[in-house]
Formats: sequence, structure tokens, C-alpha cells
Amino acid sequence: MLAGTLDMLILRIVQGGPVHGLDIAQRIERQSDDVLLVEQGSLYPALHRLEERGWIAAEWGTSETNRRARFYRLTARGKKHLAAETTRWASLVRAVGRVLTPDKA
Amino acid sequence: MSLSRWFSRRARERDRAEEVRAHLDLYVEELIARGRTPEAARREARLAFGNPRAPLEEIQHMSRLPIVDVLGRDVRFALRVLRRTPAFTFTSVVTLALVIGACTAVFSLADAILIRPLPYPAPERLALVERTTTTPGGVYRTVTVDGATWEAVRDHATTVDAAVCRPGGDGANLVVGGAAAFVHQHRVSAGFFRVLGVPPARGREFTAAEDVAGGPAVTVLSDDLWRRMFQGDPEIIGKAILLRGEPYTVIGVMPADFRSPIDVDLWTPLRGSSNGEGSGTNFNVVVRLKNDATWDQARAELAGLRTEAFRLLRTTKGTLDLGVKPMQEAVVAGVRDPIVMLTWAVAAVLLIACVNLAALLLARGSSRTKEIATRMALGSGRRAVVRQLMVEALILSVAGGLLGLLVGHLGLNALKALAGGTFEEWARVTLDARVLAATMGLSLFTSLLFGLVPAWQASRLNVQAALADGGSRSIAGSARHWPRRLLVVTEVALGVALLVTAGLLLRTFLNLWSLNPGFDPRNLVTASVSLQDARYVDASRINRLFEDSLQRLRAKPGVVSAGVSLELPYDRLLNRAFRFAEADPSALASMTNAAYITPGFLGTLGIPVRAGRDISEADATTSLPVVLVNATFARIYSPGRDAVGRRIRIAGSEREIVGITGDVQQRRSLEMPGIAPGPLTSLPIVFVPAAQTPEEDFRMSHTWYTPVWSVRAQSPADGARAIRQAIGEVDPLLPISEQRSMTEVMSTAMARQRLLMTLVGVLAAAAILLATIGIHGLIAHSVNERRREFGIRLALGATPAGTMRRVALSGVLLSLAGALAGGVLSIPAARLVQSSLVGVGERDPVTYLGVAIAFVLVASIASIIPALRILKLDPVEALRA
Repeated sequence: MLAGTLDMLILRIVQGGPVHGLDIAQRIERQSDDVLLVEQGSLYPALHRLEERGWIAAEWGTSETNRRARFYRLTARGKKHLAAETTRWASLVRAVGRVLTPDKA
Repeated sequence: MSLSRWFSRRARERDRAEEVRAHLDLYVEELIARGRTPEAARREARLAFGNPRAPLEEIQHMSRLPIVDVLGRDVRFALRVLRRTPAFTFTSVVTLALVIGACTAVFSLADAILIRPLPYPAPERLALVERTTTTPGGVYRTVTVDGATWEAVRDHATTVDAAVCRPGGDGANLVVGGAAAFVHQHRVSAGFFRVLGVPPARGREFTAAEDVAGGPAVTVLSDDLWRRMFQGDPEIIGKAILLRGEPYTVIGVMPADFRSPIDVDLWTPLRGSSNGEGSGTNFNVVVRLKNDATWDQARAELAGLRTEAFRLLRTTKGTLDLGVKPMQEAVVAGVRDPIVMLTWAVAAVLLIACVNLAALLLARGSSRTKEIATRMALGSGRRAVVRQLMVEALILSVAGGLLGLLVGHLGLNALKALAGGTFEEWARVTLDARVLAATMGLSLFTSLLFGLVPAWQASRLNVQAALADGGSRSIAGSARHWPRRLLVVTEVALGVALLVTAGLLLRTFLNLWSLNPGFDPRNLVTASVSLQDARYVDASRINRLFEDSLQRLRAKPGVVSAGVSLELPYDRLLNRAFRFAEADPSALASMTNAAYITPGFLGTLGIPVRAGRDISEADATTSLPVVLVNATFARIYSPGRDAVGRRIRIAGSEREIVGITGDVQQRRSLEMPGIAPGPLTSLPIVFVPAAQTPEEDFRMSHTWYTPVWSVRAQSPADGARAIRQAIGEVDPLLPISEQRSMTEVMSTAMARQRLLMTLVGVLAAAAILLATIGIHGLIAHSVNERRREFGIRLALGATPAGTMRRVALSGVLLSLAGALAGGVLSIPAARLVQSSLVGVGERDPVTYLGVAIAFVLVASIASIIPALRILKLDPVEALRA
């Protein structure tokens, strides 16, 4: 996966409301139609980093199966960051696209 | 990083671990729900998650906040490294402890005496009136002024509040409950305590009405005396105590924390005026700047009082001016130079020690080249390597600093013991928080000094080269050695400078020591008694005391002879003006030392009579007034003419010189041409028979000086006992202020020089030792490092002796360079002790050359010894190593 994109994906998933780690991994896979495969363990350093930066916040809760899990949600700063990143990403994709297929531009 | 954050991080890490476990459990459960067997579910979950410890470690690594952890790791590593080389660690820590300790002790002195403000309110507003004499030959400043100056300041100065006092204390006899004690009194004017800003704790200070000639006998006690002699009697104010032979009313007691510039038990009114005592420069005028005035205004005002102040004081040679000198500066004037010099000396030794440690670390650095190269090759940054080496230096210096505090404490006590009666101000100095902080700062500073260069050099390592040829396999002589050489030159230079200073002080001391005293000091015991006493005003009463006590003394067992004199050889004497009888009475009088003596005094001391006769009992009140003069007097004042038979006017009458005595050493109190320089010298002296001394002369002499009983006995113990008994029998209420053997008197006179010499000598010895170790280390290390190279050279036919010579020569050359630099450095260093030197110039070539030669010799030996190892080198073994 492209460096830095995992952070963005996590932020996007978390925006949907409180989710736990397993949920995030599964959603990324499901929503990308299993194109983006996440090694579940690698999620945690990313989550930790995002939390340290104050873009997401977490607290302990129980899952639908009544298991303890840590639920993440987006903070106001995270929201702003996600918006900026999304715009940046979109322009990046457009730019890359223009380079790869110039005649279509 | 704060501790709480560190703990919260620990908690977060536990949190993460739990989260990962919860994740796996959740997934397993989900998979089981989807129909997997528990075992398969666990395997699949594990597969999807990856190694569960990997993310945790990554997080842990990520969240490490630097400093504490890195430092913790560095410290642990450094401790391990230092433990591995106990000899190095021990040497460094002990060296540091000693030098930091020495610095701590000296800094305590400097801080307490030079830096701290005086213990009075607004000390910056206190000053002493200063008299400046400008002559074509130079400018002389002094804070001792005469009574006319005091009267002028008291009556006319509006910018300052002024008081007057004696520059020093004197003795007085106090009788309490039938027992006599000798106490220290300070004679001060009304308003003295007001000017200092510290009122008495009980009672009041002297009023202007009490501070006039013929005023009432009143005294203010120190808290210590009040508690010691009067058991802290709360009713003491208004009571009379028996002081100086008459009742004095106690009018005040000073607070316990009051600090006088001098050691004082009680204060009495000075009654200073332009007459009597005040006709000479015998006072200090203390002033406090008034609230709305500035020092500039005060200076201008005092300058304007010149005519008023100097109407009595004449000078033929220049102009007189009045000004002020900050009290702080005036108080420390006498002790400033030695302390400044000591501070420089310990700083130099500290620097040498740091240089040595830096060289040691450099040497270690080069033997650790491979280790450092490996670490850098493995990805350790230069900064990390520098940090690591600095942490090692830091640990050494902190350990050294902590031990140094202990050394400093002991050192300060030793200094105080050594300084004894020489520098009384030192006695009050203690180690405190300020000094503690300074010491720790010093430790950190030293670690920078000796740690930075090696660390910097190590960080410039060429990794590949170091690993490839393994350091010790290369040929030596690389550019890497220049910092160490420079360090060695530096320490030799500093060592030479210190040693030159010590050498000059040693020669000074030897010069003083080898002075011919002019008498036989063996088995001579002396005792002095204060006669500033109401019972001893009358001249005949004083002479009866002398005669009765001497008579009894001579009859005591073991006593050979005895006599009384005003003061002693090796002490200061009274300066007196005199005139030859035939001289023009309008001409200026000449100055001489003068003392009264009893018959038997010269014989007791063994001072020879060179011409004419000694005085005898026949020279009484009623007979012809006579004097003796010493050889210096005859040489200076009666050149080419026999002094015996000439008549001089001195001490109120015309007297005939009947004899010439040998010279004795006196403490300098006169500056005049024809006198040998130095604090001890032979001054012109006129000896007046005590029996022919007028009452007025006794009174004036006894205000400042004390008569001394000298006894030559079979043993000093006999003499001491005899004096105590004889004086006690004649007047049991007359306390002996000081009892010393003549050798003690002599050594006291040289105490200052001896102390300075000892202190600087010890520091210089330390400097040589350190520099020698430094040179030895440098050569030994280079021999070690170049073993292989020497092996090759020897195998190729170089002679061991030649190789050895070349190696040793490099050490000798370095010390030569250092000695040269040291010679240059010595010039400003010697200037610091210039005022303490006697009979030797501050640029004395013998001392400079001697020290340089001695140092180069020692350094050569230090470089030859390690080089000798080359002789024992086996080429085959060296090549294989």
C-alpha cells in the first residue's frame, strides 16, 4: 500500500462513527472490494500515531458481541486533516492520471 | 520529560497490548461464529493479524520520547565501559575530586570574603574616607586619616553621615568577679553603629556628649562577651564593669549576628579630635551616603574639604586629596591579592587536570577507535557517539564533583587551620548552598572541558579506514595526534607558570628566613600586657611595675635574665619624629622607630652594643637623659660622624646618644631611602630608658602598643611559668594578653609569606605531578599504538636505541615548547604575587630558568621511561600482534 494512504483510509473509516480495530481492517477490505488487504497488526502503529497526533480519539467499550474493544472516533482536528488529505489525494490522482494517459487530458 | 508523562506512557503501552489481545479474541470469536473450529479460527486470526508483538514493538519504539531513555541507555553503557577500566576510572575520579575540592575550598573563601556584600544594610552606601597623596613619584592612597580630616568631615559634610574609629582593635584588661581577662576592644566614635546601620540589641550607642575628651567611661558589649562573661545578664545596661582599671558603665549590647570587620569583644568611645592621637593618621572615617545624595556629590564635597582637613598634615612632596573608597573594597584590601592569586592557581590546576583527563580520554578514544567505528558502521550517528562519550565524561565529573565536595570541606578546614592568625577573616567561612551549586556547576563545566575534544575527535573518525586497518596496525604520526600534543604543551605551560610563582614565593620566604635576626632567639619567652589602664597612667607607677616584676622574675628558678621593652623585634614599633640638637628648629623633623626599654633588655635578647655603653639603673629620672640608637640609625642619620655623644630631641627632651646597638629585624612601619625592602627589615631605632620616659609618652604608646616582658631561661617552659608567676605576684589583676616564645614571634612575622608559599607550593606540586603523568601517558600510549610500526622498523634494521631516542625526543620537545610558553605565562602570574615578594624580582631570571630546567628534566624522564619499553620490544612478536 502506498505510504501515507493507510492513515487516510483509517481516518475515512473512523469518520463513520466509533469503530474498533478489527472493524476498521475489515471495512477497508470490504469497501475496497478486497483490493486493499490490510495486515491487521500493521493497523495498530498507524492508529497509535493518529491518536498521538490528536486526529482520532479512542475509548474502551463493548462490541455487539459484548466483548471489550477500543472504539475510535474522529476528532475535529482529524476531520479537518481528512478533508485536506482527501483534496490533496484527489488532485494527486488527477495529476498522476494526466501523466499516465496524457491524450485523455 | 516529566515523570508523570513517563508513567502515563507505560500505561498506554499496556493499553495497546490489551487492545491487540481483544482484537484477536474478537476475530477468533467471529471466525468461530462463521463455522471454523476454534483451532482453525485461531490459526486464521493469527495469520491475518501477523505477529502480534510486531506492532506493539513498533509502537513502543515510536512513542519513545528521547532524552530519558536514550540518556538512560547511555548512562548504563557508560557505567559498563567505566567499570571495565577501573584504573582509568579511579584515576580520573580521584584527580577530579582533588581539583574540584581544592577549587571548592578556595571558592568558599573568595565568595565569603570578596564577593559577598558586607553584613550591613545597604552596604553599597558605605565607604571609608580615602586620602590620596600625589607626588611626582606616584600616587599613594590610604584610608587612614588624621583627626583634622575627621573633624572636617564631621562638621562640614552634608552628603554623608560619618563616624570615626581606629583602623584595628587593641587589647584591654577586664576584671570580672576578681578574675582578670584580656579582651579585644575597638575604639569608635558616637554614631559608629548608626552609620553601619546596626543598632545595639539592648541599650544604645555612644552619644556625641560621651564621645569628647573627659567624657564618661561607657562601653558597648558584644553579644558573645555579654553571654560569656556576664551570663547574658538582662539587667546589664547601666551596670558598671571594671575595664582598663576603672569602672565603665555598660550602655549597650550588640545583637548576636552583628559582624564587625575586626575581632571585637567590646567598644569604647574613641574621642577622636585633631589633638593627641588624632595629630597623626590613626583613624578610619566611615561614611554612609545620605538618602538623597550620590557618590559623585560626596566625592566633590570631600574634595572641597581639603584645606580644612589638611591644615595640620603637611607634606613636602606632593598634594593631598580626599575621596572615598567603597567599604567593601577597603575591608578586603589586605586579603584580596592572596585570594585572587589562590583562585588563579587552583583554576590553573583544575585546567591542567582537565587537560590530563582530556588526553586520557583521547588516548582511550584512539584505542576505542574500532569500537566506535563499529558502532558508527552499524548506524550510530555521530551525534550519538559524541553524546555517548560526553555522558562518560559527565559521569566521571559528577562522581568527581561529589567526592570533591568532601575534599573541599576538608580542604577548607585545612586552609582555616593553616591561616590561623594570619587571615582571621578566613575563620568564619563555611561551605554553603552557593558553594555547593558552584561546585556542581564546576563539575559540569570540567566535563565539557575534558570531554568535548575527545568526543569531537572520535566523531570525525573515518569509519572505513579505522575498520580496515584496525587502528593499531597503521603507521603512527597521523594528524590525529595534534590535539594531544597541544594539551601536553598547555599543561606544561600552566605547570611552569605555577611553579615559577611558587619559586618566587619560596625565595621570598627563604630571604626572610635567612635574615639575621640580630639577637639569639633560643630559649627566649615573651609575654605582653596591656597598660592602657587607669591604674597605670603615672610614669613612676609604670616603672615600679617593671622593676618589681623584673626583680621577682630574675629570682625565679631557671631564669637567666629578663627585661621589658615596648614591643619586640619582629613587630611594629612606634614611629617618632626627632631632630638633632644642633639642627635648625624650623627644618622638618626626621622619622625613626622608637621604643622604651629597661636595663637588661638588650642583654636578655643578646642584642650587642657596638659602641658606647648599654643603659643601666643609673639612667634614672633625675640623671642626664640618654638614648641608644641602632646601627641603621647611625648609618642613615649620622654618616661619617660618630653618633655616640650627639644629642637629639625626642620624646619631649634633649637626650644624649650614649651607645649604638646592633640591628634587629622589625616589621616595616616606615618608608625611607637606605632601608632594605620587604615586610621585615632593619629600621632606625631610638631606645629610650623606660625610667626616663615621660608620662605622656607612656600614655600614647600604651594606647596602641603593649610592653613586652622578655625572659631568657634554661627552657622555654621555665621562662613561661616564671613570667606568669612574677606578673601575677606584682599585680594579680593584670592579665597577660599574649605569651609566646621568640621563635613563635619570628614565625608569626613570616606567617603570611609562609602560608602563601605553602599553598602555591602544594598547587604547583600538583601541577607538576599532573603534567608529568600527562607526558608519560602520551609517550606510553604512542609507544603502545606503534608497537607494530616499531617491530617493522627493528626488523628492517633500526637500532632499538635510536628508535627509543626519537620517541623520547618528541616528549622532550613538547615539554620544551611548554616550558617556553610557561615562561611567558609566568610574567602576568608573577605580577599577582608581586606585592608579597621580598628580595626577589617578579621576573627573577634564576627562578624562571631554574624552574624551566627542572621542569624539562622531569618531563624528559617522564618521556624516556615509557620509551624504554621499545628496548624490550621483540620484533617478531610485535609484528604478529
